Amino acid sequence: MMPTAHGQSTAPARGDAERRASRRGVVAGLAWTSPWLIGSCAVVFLPMALSLYYSFTDYPLLEPPLWTGLDNYRGMMHDPTFWRVVRNTAVFAGLSIPLYTIVALVLAAMLAGRGRMAPIFRACVFLPTLVPLVASAMVWMWLFNGEYGLINKVLGLAGINGPAWIVDKDWVMVSMVIMSVWGVGQGVVIYVAAMQDVPGQLYEAARIDGMGVGRQFLHVTLPMISPSILFNVIALTIAAVQVFAVPYIMFRRPDGQNPVGHFYTMYLYENAFIYGKMGYASAMAWLQLVVVLVLTGVLLLASRRLVHYARV
Amino acid sequence: MTRRAALGTMLAGAAGFAALGPRGERFDPRGRIVLEYWEKWTRHEGDAMERIVDAFNASQDRIVVRYNVVSDIGQKSLVSIAGGNPPDVIGLYAFNVVPYAETGAILPLDELAARAGMSLDQYTPGVRRVMRHQGKWWATVNTAGSIALYWNRAAFRGAKIDPDRPPRTIAELDEMHRRLVRTDASGALDRVGFLHREPGWWSWLWAYHFGGRIYDEALGRATVDSSEDIRAMEWMQNLSRGLGVDRTARFAESFGNYFTPENPFLTGKVAMIVQGPWIANLINAFKPDLDYGVAPFPTETAGPIDSPVGLIDTDVLVIPRGARHPGAAMEFIAFTQRQDMTEQLATAHCKPSPLAKVSEAFLANHPNRGIRVHYDILRSDRSFVAPRTRVWQQFKDEFDTQVQRMWRLEVAAPVALARLQTRVQSFIDRAAERQRRRYGQRGTA
Repeated sequence: MMPTAHGQSTAPARGDAERRASRRGVVAGLAWTSPWLIGSCAVVFLPMALSLYYSFTDYPLLEPPLWTGLDNYRGMMHDPTFWRVVRNTAVFAGLSIPLYTIVALVLAAMLAGRGRMAPIFRACVFLPTLVPLVASAMVWMWLFNGEYGLINKVLGLAGINGPAWIVDKDWVMVSMVIMSVWGVGQGVVIYVAAMQDVPGQLYEAARIDGMGVGRQFLHVTLPMISPSILFNVIALTIAAVQVFAVPYIMFRRPDGQNPVGHFYTMYLYENAFIYGKMGYASAMAWLQLVVVLVLTGVLLLASRRLVHYARV
Repeated sequence: MTRRAALGTMLAGAAGFAALGPRGERFDPRGRIVLEYWEKWTRHEGDAMERIVDAFNASQDRIVVRYNVVSDIGQKSLVSIAGGNPPDVIGLYAFNVVPYAETGAILPLDELAARAGMSLDQYTPGVRRVMRHQGKWWATVNTAGSIALYWNRAAFRGAKIDPDRPPRTIAELDEMHRRLVRTDASGALDRVGFLHREPGWWSWLWAYHFGGRIYDEALGRATVDSSEDIRAMEWMQNLSRGLGVDRTARFAESFGNYFTPENPFLTGKVAMIVQGPWIANLINAFKPDLDYGVAPFPTETAGPIDSPVGLIDTDVLVIPRGARHPGAAMEFIAFTQRQDMTEQLATAHCKPSPLAKVSEAFLANHPNRGIRVHYDILRSDRSFVAPRTRVWQQFKDEFDTQVQRMWRLEVAAPVALARLQTRVQSFIDRAAERQRRRYGQRGTA
């Protein structure tokens, strides 16, 4: 400890100064992040807490909440419409996520090259994702129109009598799944970026070992981009569980809701804002959150065995 | 700029905005009360209502009404009332009155209306049923509608059917429909006589034309599995079976949107439709040469001509709970309910006036040639309104879903209706039980 001219140690003074500086830093940090903190508390955490409370009540919005315990959660178990939307959403997720992933990987593999035209093709694939969902739903309604739709016209040229895509119960889900692939560009861009990061020497080694293009893709490309695939699959799972805007526009018609085109979030919205059953809707929302968390957890667990984090 | 100065500037800005920023200004610079009026109408219907608002604003110097067009008005009204910041007047649908009244979301008008010199007696009997609930007056009706059969007289002539003789019974309608069906060389439908699903807004009303109903208000019981309801739905299924489910689905996809020249009634693809008087506006705008007739929708067995069966479907004006100027709002509403104003608005909307007393000039010059038919339904003691239960929206959605399945012949009518009965009754019972727990024997807010 170095004595000062007045015989006092400088260390406590320096410590105080550091503490003051540190406190000032914390205060400044909190102040600069306060809009986010206050905003998150006001529009995320507080509503979440309230919705958790409402999920145990009967709350028609216009009247005070009435405590009903687990009634809303029990009610879901006996609600056939609830089970219908769960089934529809599960089928949609089960079909659309693998199809989207396969199509995105194939397109990415085709577009990952560094040719002069590659960026233009990539932009073309990405472009549909920039179209607002409502606009694309309206376009797809016309494409799928059984009488005048372009898809049936093309099928007609091949001698195939196309179905009433968005009316016929056997084809409603198919049309939804096909439409989900419309936004494949986002996945393609991520996969292309990941593929371009795969070290060239791995392919070289694979070629020396006698691997063809297909085996290189399976044994080199896929393991190397597996973290990107995991990220995309998690994002797709969340989006599929929450699917709302497109089916709401396409399948909620003046003559009623097409039962096959009725999804979980649509029913949640109807309960909250059309039927005035905010408590039931809150319970559905919390169940949805739990399902999303569980699915994400399962995917992360599976990723321990399936995802390869390379250290180059 | 130092961090402290930057933070200070931001905080000062926020404080200034909070203290001096925009407010829900309720008085205009001349000291007049500003009423916020939310309405769902746009285009010619909205223009007509705005003219009424302008006339009111010009008629006095104390109140200014601001006309705001609001889409999905039921949901936004719900949120604004729950949030404690509603407008002063809202233009809703008739089916909103019961749930809003039972939850105390709208103000009873008995005293306010009496002070404004209004009386229920000034309305037609059918309309009064929409305005009252549990002994109180909750809403006024700005435009009245009743649902009738519109038929294409040219199509009738083409099919060798007397164009002046609309069907009076369901059997006659079936026979005319059969004769009006036309197919092209490939067997695809080119025209049908009647389609229950066009436009499909009232999938539940057929039972009433078979002498039944779907809800017993006095008992608080759904009655969708009654023999009349089953016969009505079996009639619908027979028509669907006759046309072919897939063939009809394909044909229906060729229809344009309702509010366009591609409306299938205007294009002649459907020769008979069940519709409200407002369709005359579409006809006058897009197909003024369409030769059409209007009659009460037929019943299973012919009834008295002077007492037709038909749905009354109206637009209503209400004052929400939390409105800042209920007295001024009532003054504005009373102005809109004057005979000259209702006739002006009804003429523009091609609808009947909700008032019992109308001028002969209004009827003589009305742009809807079937206006007297719509009046007959409004005055009829056999007319009906949508089930008056607070769970009506969910009731209707469940009904629509089952009707879709029955229309596609996926399930027999008795089976679907039995399931529907159980399901809908569970909503009704649960809502009633919650009301009892919330308010005791009083039952409402």
